[in-house]
Amino acid sequence: MKLSFPLLFSLLPILSAAPTLDKAKTFGNPDAPITIELFSDFQCPSCRMLHITLLPSIMRDYVLPGKAYLVYKEYPLPQHNHSREAAAYACAAARVGKYEQVADALFQNQPAWAENGKVFETVSTALTPAEQKKVQALARDPGILDEVQQDVQQGQSQGVNQTPTMLIIHGTKRYPVAGVPNYSLLRSILDGLAK
Amino acid sequence: MVFGYAAYTKLSQPWALFAISVDAYHILPEWAVTVVARGLPWLELALAVLIVLGPWRRTTSVAASTLLLVFFGMMVRAYLRGEQIDCGCFGPGEAISPLTLVRDGALLAVSGFLTWDAFQHSRRPARSFQSQYSSY
Repeated sequence: MKLSFPLLFSLLPILSAAPTLDKAKTFGNPDAPITIELFSDFQCPSCRMLHITLLPSIMRDYVLPGKAYLVYKEYPLPQHNHSREAAAYACAAARVGKYEQVADALFQNQPAWAENGKVFETVSTALTPAEQKKVQALARDPGILDEVQQDVQQGQSQGVNQTPTMLIIHGTKRYPVAGVPNYSLLRSILDGLAK
Repeated sequence: MVFGYAAYTKLSQPWALFAISVDAYHILPEWAVTVVARGLPWLELALAVLIVLGPWRRTTSVAASTLLLVFFGMMVRAYLRGEQIDCGCFGPGEAISPLTLVRDGALLAVSGFLTWDAFQHSRRPARSFQSQYSSY
């Protein structure tokens, strides 16, 4: 015990500096052999395509059976004028346990809100009136805005330069897959790593 | 060196990762994407070895220039179409940009020059010792 206290004490700064992982933005088994970090922008059309066409298959074949752990990361691109606002609402929705529902609403209705800028109106369709109030207040919270920025900085430090980008992590190796890949090719990678 | 490094970056990762980069160009059918993704890194490695060792200089320089011309053409096509895809040149994670186009264009220019040089030298064969000194 005498030895473990100083050891734990010395670890405190490391633990506090570790990036916070919002559990509401993660899916599947954290101990799965593969982790997929998905960097996306709610206003990017390719991210919409990936979310609608590819993600359900990844969830069904890898995340739900416990082969992969999915972590959503925000990567709003500067050329998209509403994407940072959308990311903030999505992160705020994660705090009330509604990240996936809000992400679905944002991607499904992307052409409309990207055009008219009615982001909150879109977000609110996935929330109860009480949640709407909470999410609206949280989206202005500096902590939420910082969370979005932390995701962006993490992506930049890992070489993410376009959206969507899936970082497939297996042990110490990281494989970036940009764009919307052919699912059978993606399966070849994931199956090979999951063995 | 460049071909050797390009081959290494592809062979050290799952082949399907490079296949995804090839597929993103939307030029080849799926079976051909598989053939290219599995075969091209070995072709690059073979070219690197042959270029370093030096035999069949004209053949290897023509092959290298042709390969670079195809790569460059595909990249320019994708860039002009506004496709935001990975170049796939040296493994994943490098999007096509003016910088990658300049780099690959420069490699093509150097390779083109070396090919021209290989043919120039083959037209002027070095005179044998006997023929050089036969006039004395």
